[in-house]
Amino acid sequence: MSSHREAPEISKDPVADNTDVYAFVSPDRPNMVTLIANYVPLEGPAGGPNFYEFGDDVLYEIKIDNDGDAVEDITYQFRFQTDLRNPNTFLYNTGRITSLNDPNWNKRQFYSVTKVVENGQTTVLGSNLACPPCNIGPSSTPNYASLAQAAVHSLKSGETVFAGQRAEGFYVDLGAVFDLLDLRPFQNLHVFPMPAAPGVNGTDNLNVHTMAIQVPKAHLTRDGSNPTDPNDPRSVIGMYASASRQKARILEGQGKIVETGPFVQVSRQAAPLFNEVMVPLGKKDLWNALDPRQDKLFLNNTQHPEVSGLLPVLYPGVFPNLAAYTKARADMVAIFLTGIPAGIIPGFQNFTGKTLADLLRLNMAIPPAKNPNILGILGGDLAGFPNGRRVFDDVFTVELRALAGVTIPLVDPSFTPDAAASQVTDDVEPSDINSPYLKSFPYLGVPYDGFDNPSS
Amino acid sequence: MAKLSRRGFLGQTTASMATIGVLAAVPQLAATSDLPETSAAALSTAEMSAADLAGPLVAHVSDLASGEIALLVGTQEVIVRDPGLVMRLLNLVR
Repeated sequence: MSSHREAPEISKDPVADNTDVYAFVSPDRPNMVTLIANYVPLEGPAGGPNFYEFGDDVLYEIKIDNDGDAVEDITYQFRFQTDLRNPNTFLYNTGRITSLNDPNWNKRQFYSVTKVVENGQTTVLGSNLACPPCNIGPSSTPNYASLAQAAVHSLKSGETVFAGQRAEGFYVDLGAVFDLLDLRPFQNLHVFPMPAAPGVNGTDNLNVHTMAIQVPKAHLTRDGSNPTDPNDPRSVIGMYASASRQKARILEGQGKIVETGPFVQVSRQAAPLFNEVMVPLGKKDLWNALDPRQDKLFLNNTQHPEVSGLLPVLYPGVFPNLAAYTKARADMVAIFLTGIPAGIIPGFQNFTGKTLADLLRLNMAIPPAKNPNILGILGGDLAGFPNGRRVFDDVFTVELRALAGVTIPLVDPSFTPDAAASQVTDDVEPSDINSPYLKSFPYLGVPYDGFDNPSS
Repeated sequence: MAKLSRRGFLGQTTASMATIGVLAAVPQLAATSDLPETSAAALSTAEMSAADLAGPLVAHVSDLASGEIALLVGTQEVIVRDPGLVMRLLNLVR
């Protein structure tokens, strides 16, 4: 639930709904950065006959700020176009799909990638790029892994791109979290107690649609330099992804829909959970429409997170120190809105300046970890969240512990976190995902097929 | 966006919409209009793409009292202010 159906309006528009965003130095190609933006939440694999796809009428964008003003300097735009070979059949495929050009594949989707830089210059990096089909089952899409791999495109400009269905990589006990934060391992301590139990991954066996682009590091810095010094501000980028629709949509009748006008942003995503649990219901749609540089509007919500106030109520007697702490949460502001400045965590900074903005901030000079810790910086792994976000990082547990107060001492040494603050978790880990992550691009696992996963 | 004359606009529209195809078919609609312009630069038909000219054009009035009309075509938006035209449009649907 990093950002799945997190706001009232976008929950009705899954095709434009940002779900998760990732940014990390590629572990197998450490001179490259991988940027991933996922859309279309909670896809059931057996989603036929109109299997999930990107929206032809949506402008998808991955945006990079590299000079610390929270305004994008580089934008990668993805636009999609569906090709229907035979409109006179109801079938997505009329036989076995064995290649991206297979004539049995009736409804295909292609896309273009355009790079827009700060001065407005646009460059089409690739066009007519093929998406893979959805993973239907062994009769329709045998050897799916290799079929999807064929949809990884290397561009002449040095990037590698992929757009299509993948296994959901975000793991969380979704049912427990939104049942009054009834964390199963600790529910014996909950205000409505039940026996403790193991966590359950609520997103397992579900798919998502992924846009992924792997970019040389030097393409992302403000001056084209290769980032090698973690203390250098030029080593840090801020990233977010968005979806936009045209201003007017007219239902002309007889199934015809026309759209016109400029594109208007309807969804965005950077750090996991921000709009999900930091922004109140009455402002979630507004947040989705704004640019990150306007996030000072949500400073109070960040300084006084609602979850931090709820934890002592939902778990009576477990968080007395957190309950007594009434100061503004400067640690939350650093994590979500500015990045962590130098001097707080030895060897690390991802500070992008004073402009308050929800961005995923990646210090590109910090190399991939040889032995990654899914708790990222909280676990002593500087290559992990909130230094960007890797696909396997346990962002829910990290943020829950931060909300519980474990990061307050970084900015207020007088505070002693409750013992539970460093223990709370939903007890869900990467091993709870049935489709494992890949060791190479696009890193997210092979999507689940509908034949073998009929009821997700 | 081609400048519109009130007569041509009202004569060719339904209560809520005009088609850009109609504008192209009526030459006088490309002539100088008495519509005041208050904001973004208007585009001539020559500057619009073939896709834009194929339509649709949507005229949107969100605040009747302001007299502002947002004209949407292609990926463009031009805002003009004409309280008289807004009232005439409103009268068409009363």
